[in-house]
Amino acid sequence: ATALSTHPLGERLCSAEEATAGSGTYTRHGFIFSSLAGCVEKRSEDGGLPVVSVVRDAESQLLPDVGAVVTCKVCSINSRFAKVHILYVGSTPLKSAFRGTIRREDIRATEKDKVEVYKSFRPGDIVLAKVISLGDAQSNYLLSTAENELGVVVARSEAGVQMVPISWCEMQCPRTHTKDFRKVARVQPQFLQT
Amino acid sequence: GGAYWVDSQQKRYVPVKGDHVIGIVTAKAGDVFKLDVGGSEQASLSYLAFEGATKRNRPNVQVGDLIYGQFLVANKDMEPEMVCIDSSGRSSGMGIIGQDGFLFKVSLGLIRKLLAPKCEIIQELSQLYPFELVLGMNGRIWVKAKTVQQTLIIVNILEACEYMTAEQRKQALAKLSGN
Repeated sequence: ATALSTHPLGERLCSAEEATAGSGTYTRHGFIFSSLAGCVEKRSEDGGLPVVSVVRDAESQLLPDVGAVVTCKVCSINSRFAKVHILYVGSTPLKSAFRGTIRREDIRATEKDKVEVYKSFRPGDIVLAKVISLGDAQSNYLLSTAENELGVVVARSEAGVQMVPISWCEMQCPRTHTKDFRKVARVQPQFLQT
Repeated sequence: GGAYWVDSQQKRYVPVKGDHVIGIVTAKAGDVFKLDVGGSEQASLSYLAFEGATKRNRPNVQVGDLIYGQFLVANKDMEPEMVCIDSSGRSSGMGIIGQDGFLFKVSLGLIRKLLAPKCEIIQELSQLYPFELVLGMNGRIWVKAKTVQQTLIIVNILEACEYMTAEQRKQALAKLSGN
């Protein structure tokens, strides 16, 4: 059985003898305090004391973990890296976009020194990437596209039309027939929708 | 084959890869200089992009210096990058522009006219006084003659060439060489 009620942060919830501390709480001086501002949840366990926990929202935010494939949109490029906004983790959309960085040496697996960021990504492209690190003090996730299945999935040409991939490094505009360079992702057939 | 292009008149310069321009050094940020080239963004120039430059042998560039170089990277998505060497590593006339002289701005169309082979204006001016001339595709011209007066006369003629016809120009030059 669960009971929900809103409490301010740091409030003393109950004695440590009545319940066990769950997530979002901590024990001090024999009492359980909340460490988050949110709703108190009291879940009764089968064998033993009920578990008290504090949750911020109804569903918890899904955080990108190391090794997760994320969908992101390129916001700016540089000769050394590309900055992206992470929009989806797997197939679940994120409520607020996280920021990520794809370094020049993480774009491809082979011939890393011949890579040109301008010939791999452009601002506005939708890219599938993998998280390689949770990031530094500026909390920018470090991403990599150094696999065949990772890279650009959706890109628009200068004419504003969505381009069609013709090889792993080129995409073509169906209206003007101009070819543009991108690091194209080889999306597996089960994920394609026609 | 041949090439077609549309010649238009504009004053605002947009960086294009391969163009030779005159830039003004605005900042030194570690290993990179920031140059004002008259475009929407400042261009970056690495200190190694000069002839004979190594990590120990750095070029003597100060804030406010004039640099004649070409664009290595110039597109609408990235900050433009300049170099003062060509693909074989030689400077071929590029680098820091010397002291003195006069820098002024003209329209882009006039620059293209002056850069055409066997340009009449340049030939007629060189009959007048000897002078040094650097033309930047971003509309900037640097002139240096023996005296300040001669320099300013050449500057005024080049600026007026925008609107003078060939006849008017020949008359003006004839008056000057008469003096």
